[in-house]
Amino acid sequence: MEQIGKQVKLPLGRALQIAVQGIRIRFGRSLVTVSGVVLGVAFFMSNVTSQLIKQAIADEREQRQTLNLMLTLMKSEIGDLSGKTVALATFGETTVSERDLLAVLRKTPGLTLGAPEALGGKAHLLLVLGAGPATASPDILTAGMAQPVLLDSLAERAYPSAKPGSSLAQVRRELFFGRESEEQADKLKTQAEQATFRTLWIGIISILVTIIGIANALLMSVTERFREIGTMKCLGAMSAFIRKLFLIESAMLGFAGAVIGTALGTLLSFAGYGLTFGFGLITAALNVGGLLVAAAACIAGGTVLSMLAAIYPANFAARMVPASALRTNV
Amino acid sequence: MDNDLQQLLNDGATAEKSGYVIRAVDVKRVYRNGEVETHALRGASLDVKRAEYLSIMGPSGSGKTTFFNMIGGLDRPSSGKVYIDQVDIAQLDPYELAWLRCRKVGYIFQSFNLIQVMSCIENVMLPMSFAGVSGEDARDKAMDILERVGLADRALHKPSEMSGGQQQRVAVARALANSPDIVLADEPTANLDLKTGEEIIELFWKLRSDLGVTIITATHDLKMLKRSDRIVWIEDGRISKISTPDEMQIQIEEVH
Ligand SMILES: Nc1ncnc2c1ncn2[C@@H]1O[C@H](COP(=O)(O)OP(=O)(O)O)[C@@H](O)[C@H]1O
Ligand SMILES: [Mg+2]
Repeated sequence: MEQIGKQVKLPLGRALQIAVQGIRIRFGRSLVTVSGVVLGVAFFMSNVTSQLIKQAIADEREQRQTLNLMLTLMKSEIGDLSGKTVALATFGETTVSERDLLAVLRKTPGLTLGAPEALGGKAHLLLVLGAGPATASPDILTAGMAQPVLLDSLAERAYPSAKPGSSLAQVRRELFFGRESEEQADKLKTQAEQATFRTLWIGIISILVTIIGIANALLMSVTERFREIGTMKCLGAMSAFIRKLFLIESAMLGFAGAVIGTALGTLLSFAGYGLTFGFGLITAALNVGGLLVAAAACIAGGTVLSMLAAIYPANFAARMVPASALRTNV
Repeated sequence: MDNDLQQLLNDGATAEKSGYVIRAVDVKRVYRNGEVETHALRGASLDVKRAEYLSIMGPSGSGKTTFFNMIGGLDRPSSGKVYIDQVDIAQLDPYELAWLRCRKVGYIFQSFNLIQVMSCIENVMLPMSFAGVSGEDARDKAMDILERVGLADRALHKPSEMSGGQQQRVAVARALANSPDIVLADEPTANLDLKTGEEIIELFWKLRSDLGVTIITATHDLKMLKRSDRIVWIEDGRISKISTPDEMQIQIEEVH
C-alpha cells in the first residue's frame, strides 16, 4: 500500500513554459489583455512625450527669436552685413543662440569676422558675446575703429577701466539675449509653475487610467479562468504554482503591452506635434535623454503594475477550494 | 520511503482496517448562499474496500457530486471525517493534498472540465506535468492511454472540436494519467453511445482486476450497475441502501 507523499514543487521553468503556452494558445484573448495595458501606458507615455515636445518647441522658438533679435540689431547699427567687417570678442561660455548667431554670420557672404586685435581697427562693429565678465576694456577692444559701435549680449556686463563719459560708453549697445526684464521673468516663472502643475495633474490622471486599465484587463483574464484553475488544482496543481503561473503571465503580457504602449504613445505624440509644427522644430531642441528615461520608466512601470494588478486575483484564484472553483460559470 | 519501512508501517497500522481504501464517517456538507442553506449531505458513511467496483445511484440533486468531492479531497466536509488509506485527509498539508489529488485519485468530472485551450494530449499530459513528469516520457504515456480509450487519432484536436462522448473519453484518459489507485467517475458514460460506453466499462473492469484500482462511479447505466460489486443508493443527502447487482436485478424485475 502506498502512503501519501508530498507533491513536488514544479520548477519556475515549468510554470514559464505553461504560461507561454497559455498565452500562445489564447492568443486572441491575450491580445485583449495586452491592449488594456497598451492603452494605459500609451496614454501616459503620450502625455510625457507631449510635455517634452512642448518644452522643445518653446526652447527652440526662444532661441530663434533671440537670434533674429541679434541680427536685426546688428543690421540697424551697420546696415546690410555683406562687405562689412565685424570684430568678435568672447568672454566665457556662449549660449545656444549666440552660437547660432555666429553660425549665421560665418555663412553670410562678404562678411569678415575676426578678433579685434587681428583686424587692427578696420571693423565696423565690435560684437561681445559670452556670459563671463569682460577682461579687456572697451577702449582696447575698439582701438582704431573709426566709428566705434559695440554690441554687447550682456546688458549688465562690467568692463574694466571703462571711463564714464568716454566716447565709447555713448555708443555702447546692449542686447537682451534671453535676459528678460524682471517683469518678464516673473511672468515666465508663473507660466512655468502653471505648466508644471498641469503636467503633474495629467501625470497623476494618466497613472490612474493606466492602473485601472491594467488591473481590469488582468482581473478579467483571471476570473474568466476560475474553472480552469479549479480543474488544475483537482489535477494536482499547488496554489503557489497557480499564483506563479498568473504572475508570470501578467508580467509577460504587461511587458509586451508596456513596450507597445510606450512606442505607440511616443509615435502618436510625435505625429500630432510634428504634423502641426513641423518635425524640424520639435526635434531640434528635444530632450532625447529625458525621452529615453521616460520610455524606460514606462516599460518598467507597466510591467510592475501588471504584476501588482494580478496579485489579488491570482491569490484569490490560488486559494479557491477546487470543488467550488469548478462550479463557477463565468 | 523505502519499501521495507513502508511495509512495516502499513502492517502495524492497518492490521484490522487495511482493506478499506476510503472511509467516509458521517460526512455532512452544508452550502451557505447568503440566507439560504442547502444540506447537500446529511451524514453519509461508507467504507470502500481496495479494488472494489462501486456504483452510486440516486436522483439528480441527491448529493452524488458533493459526495465525490468529499471522498476525493476536492472539498472539506462541514462535519464528519474522510479517510483515504487510513489517513484523515483533513490533516493533510497542501503538499500532501496536492499529491493525493494528483497521483492517488483520478477524477472524471460530470462536466468533463477539460482545459479548452489545450489539445487532447496536452490535457492528458497536464496531471503528469504536475507530478513532475514531462517531455517525451509523458507524451508516450499519454499516447498509450489515448489509444486505450480509442482516441489516438484525435490526440491533437481541441475539446471544442470533439463530440461529448469523445470529450468524456479524454476525461477518462486524463484521470488515468498518473496511474491512480482510485478512480472517481461522476456519470462517465452519460454521454457515450452504447459501444463506447461498454468499452469504458470494460476499461474500468480491467483496471480494477489487473491493477487493483478502486473504481467508484455515479451512474444510471444498467450495464455498469451489473458489473459493479456493490451499489450505493443516495437519497436526499443520505445513503439509503447498499445492495449487490443481483438484489437490484430482482428489484428491477419486481417493478416490471
Ligand atoms: N456549491 C454549491 N453551492 C450551493 N449549493 C450546492 C452547491 N453544490 C451543490 N449544491 C446543491 O447541493 C445539492 C446536491 O448537489 P449535487 O451533489 O451536485 O447532486 P447530484 O450530483 O446528485 O446531482 C443540490 O441541491 C445542489 O443544488
Ligand atoms: Mg452530479
